[in-house]
Amino acid sequence: MSVPAAVGAAPARPQADREAAPWRRTSLGTVGGVLLLGLVLPWLLVRLDIGNFLVVLLILFFMQAVVAQSWNLIMGYGGIYSFAQVALFAVGGWTTGVLAHSLGWNPFASILFAPVLATAAALLIGLPTLRLRGTYVVLLTLAFHELSRVFAITGPRFISGGGYGLTIVPGFPLGNVGNDQRLIYLYYIAMGIFSVATFVIWRVIYSPLGVAVTALRDSETYAVSRGIDQFRVRLVLFAISAFFTGLAGGYMTHYSTGISTSVFDLSRLIDLLAMIVIGGWGTFMGPILGAGIVIGLDQALVGIGDFRALAEGVIVALIAVFAPQGLWPTLRRIYDRYLGPEPEPAGQAEADPTVGGE
Amino acid sequence: MYNTQLVQAVWGGILFGSVYGLMALGLTLVWGAVRLLNLAHGAIFIVGAYTAYWVVSTLHLPILAALPVGVVVAATFAGVMHVLFIRPVIGKTGFDNATLVATIGLSISVSAAALIIFNPEYKVVPPVLGGSHNMVGVQITNQGLLVVATSLALFALVYLFLTYSRQGMAIRAVSQQRDAASLMSIPVVRTYGVVIAISGALAGLAGVLLSPFFFLNPSSGFNPMIQALIVTIFGGLGSVRGALVAGFVLGIFESFVEVYLGVAWALPGVFLLIILMLIVRPNGLFGIGEVRRL
Repeated sequence: MSVPAAVGAAPARPQADREAAPWRRTSLGTVGGVLLLGLVLPWLLVRLDIGNFLVVLLILFFMQAVVAQSWNLIMGYGGIYSFAQVALFAVGGWTTGVLAHSLGWNPFASILFAPVLATAAALLIGLPTLRLRGTYVVLLTLAFHELSRVFAITGPRFISGGGYGLTIVPGFPLGNVGNDQRLIYLYYIAMGIFSVATFVIWRVIYSPLGVAVTALRDSETYAVSRGIDQFRVRLVLFAISAFFTGLAGGYMTHYSTGISTSVFDLSRLIDLLAMIVIGGWGTFMGPILGAGIVIGLDQALVGIGDFRALAEGVIVALIAVFAPQGLWPTLRRIYDRYLGPEPEPAGQAEADPTVGGE
Repeated sequence: MYNTQLVQAVWGGILFGSVYGLMALGLTLVWGAVRLLNLAHGAIFIVGAYTAYWVVSTLHLPILAALPVGVVVAATFAGVMHVLFIRPVIGKTGFDNATLVATIGLSISVSAAALIIFNPEYKVVPPVLGGSHNMVGVQITNQGLLVVATSLALFALVYLFLTYSRQGMAIRAVSQQRDAASLMSIPVVRTYGVVIAISGALAGLAGVLLSPFFFLNPSSGFNPMIQALIVTIFGGLGSVRGALVAGFVLGIFESFVEVYLGVAWALPGVFLLIILMLIVRPNGLFGIGEVRRL
């Protein structure tokens, strides 16, 4: 670039790469419409016969999607193979559960400590592990999972509740309202958490932090040689992910007025993994789509009982090996080809971050 | 009293150490040669154990007949896993992702299958050897002695196999430089299959031998796998010698913690030890970094 050109470009803000700054081209109308639909939907649904059930499913969807998204943030984008996700969820759940149950705090106050403690726990695991290579992270986070499970079962009584977890945590104090009304309020809280988490994760993915961590995933040597502090970037990302995971854990504890030690079951882990893998590993919409699919299938397949986990495990394995991109990129391609706007001629290369890779 | 505790701790350490070593041996072999972190190792463990249980309880055969069946079925399972889920992604980008997700998916499927076929109750696999000795008040079972002896013998066998046999040399060659090995007309993919099958056989054997101590339920593969993973890191990923030494070190450490501080401290203690280890020596006891393995 010649000197005058560089000087001339300096006062005007350089044209941001559209791929890198998607909020510049996101239509507020669409986002507003979706939000409005989300706000109105429960009022319409509760009028249906099975409406309450559908609202409950939506609440579950919101929470599962938050956890899956935060996991995808570190696994899919960050390439950090952390299996501590369920344990961090449990840390959040137990924190607010113990505060509300044993100390009698207002759940709205105690839930604020769920993400804080989950983040602290994540920093505690992250400090020794994130300096190391991927395999060690897998081993140590799995070990942390097991450690938390054992502690939750055999720990002091106010935590373990005698081995079953916390069974009588107070729910959110929503005043003296009818059942439908109460459900709708719970729905709004869940939707609020989901919206905030989705927005933050979206911004993080396209922030310098997100770009740095994706660069680390794709080519560690090159990224480090460009001056990216690998350890710090990963730690911050891990903490963000843990924050929302813990928040979701806290919400679920008050929502279901208890948290059982069965959250540590491996079938929970495979549910979350299925959401990411089916939806699309390392894509923004993937885990959200995946959460919807897994929760929907869950209801459809409730009849086959134990076979569900069996099928889920095999399906996840097959997708991981034979269609590692997942569903979202495929849908996206179909949309772009048949329904989307005409692609701009200026070589919109297939810049989609490929799945995984060193 | 004092003596009893000490003997208890040492014996428990040797017993569990040898078992962790046996599990870790399979993991470390696969990691060293294929660069695959096999999270289905615990699943293969229970495949072996449940097979032996089934042969004993349904076919009413003695456990000595069930032992080889369990080992063969476990090795076959590992081989099938290799063909279906690992071979298709060898050498492709995203190998780590795909195999990690696939093996954990499979391991959960195996647990679910075990739950369906044999309900969640604890099963008892009879010991291969009955009877026990008494040493200053500590019961030392013959089965325990058998496990320790088998594990040591297998370490020796695997070491000799890797060092002297043609197939073992092929494995080492592949693990050191895959492309060069391939140019020397070593069938790389088949060698991977052999390593994975051997590792499966080891896990299956551990499953059959260990179930008399742990009892067997659909999720009982998870804990031995975690312990084996910890041993593997502690000894250095991909190091056979490391797996042996670390198995005993961690086993004895855990056993002492259990006897003197209580069972609840065993896992946190091991966890703490491994974190310290990783800070002091990130490659483990016998870790040789990235270049040379096995």
